[in-house]
Amino acid sequence: MSEAQRTAPDQTPDFAAWVDVHGDYLFKYALFRLRDASAAEDAVQETFLAALKAYERFQGRGSERTWLVGILKHKITDHFRRITREAPIGEDADDGPEHKEFFRGAGEWTGHWEAEHAPSDWHATPAELLEQSDFFRVFNDCLSPLPQRTASAFTLREVDGLTSEEICAALNISVNNLWVMLHRARLHLRNCLEINWFKRPTDEH
Amino acid sequence: MGWYEKTKHSIRYFLLRRLPTCQATAELISRSLERPLTWRERVTLKLHLWICVWCLWYLEHLQIIRQTMLKRGAEVPETDYPAGPTLSAEARARIKRQLANLQ
Repeated sequence: MSEAQRTAPDQTPDFAAWVDVHGDYLFKYALFRLRDASAAEDAVQETFLAALKAYERFQGRGSERTWLVGILKHKITDHFRRITREAPIGEDADDGPEHKEFFRGAGEWTGHWEAEHAPSDWHATPAELLEQSDFFRVFNDCLSPLPQRTASAFTLREVDGLTSEEICAALNISVNNLWVMLHRARLHLRNCLEINWFKRPTDEH
Repeated sequence: MGWYEKTKHSIRYFLLRRLPTCQATAELISRSLERPLTWRERVTLKLHLWICVWCLWYLEHLQIIRQTMLKRGAEVPETDYPAGPTLSAEARARIKRQLANLQ
């Protein structure tokens, strides 16, 4: 491409317009994963700035949005990596609650479900849950009390579908550590969702 | 109770006393979503799930959570949360300013 073409006014995309067209979409995408509005705003900002710098390489090939989401994914992983670096890693690193109280501590059935914490039939399918945006609000509230590292690992695994190896590389943790974190996150979340969504009081009396 | 129910009950009781506990099984169920189980783990899990509906539901719930979140993560519905949240006006203006500075 010649210098004249590159500087032609119609060759330079209107980046301010991109913010209006794609800003909300990218923000929702980031917010769903980071669960923090200011962190999501930062990730979106970094994405647009990176896109501006890298535009020469993109040059309008393919969909703008897909390209921007690709950059955003990296910015989100960077954010998780930063959090992990800041969190103390060692014997006393907090992987989340063990929830021993879900299981009987003594007696004939030690280690078996305590009746009040035992799973019950949810009568629900993923298709039905996807229709209810309130479910994701409850989900978000349930994930929030977990330590940042654990919530990040869970999000990368279950929302983005990364493999164990990819998450361990991104967060710089061992695979056994990851499995412990995922197990604790699942114990906690399942119980929290059951109490606050599947067994929530309804209007029927 | 007929002899069939009595026998079934005894077998279940026998197994429940000898198999790994629900606490250990819950951890194994989570592992089963991360790596292939060994032959021995698979058999123990199958037997435990045969006699324990609570752990069976636990597995089902983890699968529901995984399928729902993966689907929801793959697509951001444009019409999601009709009342927000959206990129704040301040952030929008800030990003546009920074882009203009760089251009």
